[in-house]
Amino acid sequence: MEKILRDKKAIVLFIAPAFIVFTLILLIPVVQVVYYSLCSYDGLMKPTLIGFKNYKDLLLKDETMRIALKNSIFFMLFSAISQQLIGFVLAVLLTNIKKGRNFFKNVYYLPCVLSSAALGLLWAFMFNPKMGLNQILGVFGIEGPLWLVESSGLIPLPMWVIAFVALWQYVGQTMMLYMAQITGLSTELYEAAYIDGASKAQAMRYITLPLSKPMLKTTLSLNCIGSLKFFDLVYNMTQGGPNHRTDVLATHLYQQGFKFFKYGYASAISVVLMILCLIVTVVIDKSIKIDNYEV
Amino acid sequence: MKKKVVALLLSALMVVSSLAGCGAETTGSGDASANAGGNAGAAPVADGEVQEITWMFWDDLEATEDLISQGYKQVIDRFNEEYAGVYHCTPITTNLEEYDTKLNALVAAGDTPDLFICNPGPNLTQYVNAGIAADLTDILQNQNADWYGTFTDGIFERITYDGKIMAVPTCFAAACVFYNTQIFEEADAEVPTTYDELLASCQKIQDAGYTPISCSAGTAWCLSMIAGYLCDREGGPDNLAQVNAGEIDWTSETFIAAGYKLQELSQYFQATAAGDSNDQATANFYNGEAAMLVQGSWAIGQINGNNPDFEANCGVFQFPAIEGGADPNRMIVKTDNLVMSATTEHQDAVVALMKMFTDETAQKYIAEVGGKIPVTNVEVDYAVAPAQLSYINDILQNMTGTLGFYNESLASVEAGSTFDNAMVDIFLGNKTPEDAFGSVQTFYEDNVWNQ
Repeated sequence: MEKILRDKKAIVLFIAPAFIVFTLILLIPVVQVVYYSLCSYDGLMKPTLIGFKNYKDLLLKDETMRIALKNSIFFMLFSAISQQLIGFVLAVLLTNIKKGRNFFKNVYYLPCVLSSAALGLLWAFMFNPKMGLNQILGVFGIEGPLWLVESSGLIPLPMWVIAFVALWQYVGQTMMLYMAQITGLSTELYEAAYIDGASKAQAMRYITLPLSKPMLKTTLSLNCIGSLKFFDLVYNMTQGGPNHRTDVLATHLYQQGFKFFKYGYASAISVVLMILCLIVTVVIDKSIKIDNYEV
Repeated sequence: MKKKVVALLLSALMVVSSLAGCGAETTGSGDASANAGGNAGAAPVADGEVQEITWMFWDDLEATEDLISQGYKQVIDRFNEEYAGVYHCTPITTNLEEYDTKLNALVAAGDTPDLFICNPGPNLTQYVNAGIAADLTDILQNQNADWYGTFTDGIFERITYDGKIMAVPTCFAAACVFYNTQIFEEADAEVPTTYDELLASCQKIQDAGYTPISCSAGTAWCLSMIAGYLCDREGGPDNLAQVNAGEIDWTSETFIAAGYKLQELSQYFQATAAGDSNDQATANFYNGEAAMLVQGSWAIGQINGNNPDFEANCGVFQFPAIEGGADPNRMIVKTDNLVMSATTEHQDAVVALMKMFTDETAQKYIAEVGGKIPVTNVEVDYAVAPAQLSYINDILQNMTGTLGFYNESLASVEAGSTFDNAMVDIFLGNKTPEDAFGSVQTFYEDNVWNQ
């Protein structure tokens, strides 16, 4: 094996398929999208270069883009905070119980493996004024709000509803990642702490939390990037309505590309989305410092 | 060395196979006639091989309760039976709300269905301009003159571009106000002929405990159909023609007045109108929860298909006049149209299917079962047809002119969508009529008039 790995031709041969596939299905499309974002392109005729007009229109004139950007950032902040907190607490609780751990682990993780399209429709039915939640509230004489229709406020009610559904769906994933991290911590550390007189809360504060930091970086990046490019639940629950009030960047992109045949403009949205993802990743990477502990 | 060559070949094979199917080339020379002519009858099919074609439609043919859609399913079944072993058609179906986006995705991927249904106006225009739609003029006027002769006069007007016929209509519909006679009777409401009378009837119906008007703002074109009628009753047809030509602004008097009337009328919509889809709003009406529904006559098939008992209680009147406004006898009308792909390799099969959609059996079904207006000069037995069709025919006797859906009469699909959104904003109370029409004005300044 070592002999093979010393052979540069063999190395090239082994790397080539993955490199070619990666280049063709990722790198070239990304470059293409950046090029199309500088063009007027309807996907049917040849693209014509128009410089930064798409970006100017997008950032200066497009009212829906402002709404979509605001909603995407809200969604990212909400998901990042809520999923980190709840996911971590659930992970700590489940790693500390002996009975029913697997049961609860499966219960919390189950929504994560179900189809978002099916869940979106299911929750759309649940929040439909004529069925589901409002019917239950009606039994108690409470008139429920129009969960997926209210359009007032900086962040309209449907966005909160979708954010809560997304939290319900994906918190299991964050929990599982934290559980993997916490269960990997040495029990000797905790035993030593307890011998030194530390309480459970102190052990958590001074051992579990700092040693979970590497996973914080990973889960936070996953949460934020996933939230920024979120599409399926929004599309299946509100289609961005009423009147674009719940549009996010991905639904706006989809509509511009596939409804209006504005592939150049849609490409510009996707470039903005990509840049946002990169910025968020860099900010998370730079702001969370991981100390190396000898465990 | 031999092993390296084999490994290299396998690597190359893996890469190539992973890319199979990604090489779809989009069509579009921008010259529709050239495309159609170039492919005419060019079916590279071996003898004895069944020619498989696809037809894309905006309803689920298996699950639908809509009588028109059921009629279309019968056409497909009849086609597959009659041409068994020669041609076969596979329908591609989706729901109405997602139809355009899914069709556009297929077109962009170079996988245009051989035949697809299409709205007139900017939707069809974009397929014509991009060379997606085939020019049917020669097929209709020269190759199949007998078939062409069966169509009613003027039916091709809105689907003809520079003298070229780009689609074949299957049925014709007019937008009217459907009303529940029982609720009107119970509320002691009159059938209105003017806008003020409409408001008075709405008030009486609301006082009687019913929702006066069922409307969908979730499916924005439903709301903008009411808005379109209001704009037309205020100042049509001149205001629409002039605004498209850039001679007047969207913030001119007739549009703003229409906006305020829409705001006024929308207080009589059901509480869930903002989120209800077209189907939900129509269901509110045929389930007896709302007294009126402003819809095209295609709704007859949906109403009678879902609740056959309701037919006896369903009346129809034309959208009321605005006193001091424009001609009140103009009607919003539209046709469902079949568009043949300019790149189809099975033109004969597609033409055979289009003929079947417009033959006597299909057209009689359209009227006598579906309640829509046929596009050919077929004899219709109004005694067996839905009662609503007779009412609509009576209204059409007084018709002095037609207009398309407002959102389909504007400069582009996006212009129509901007208008729809502005109307939804007025309804939701997010914008004043001045601000809402101001946003349409801005769109036209940036994208239409100054281009």
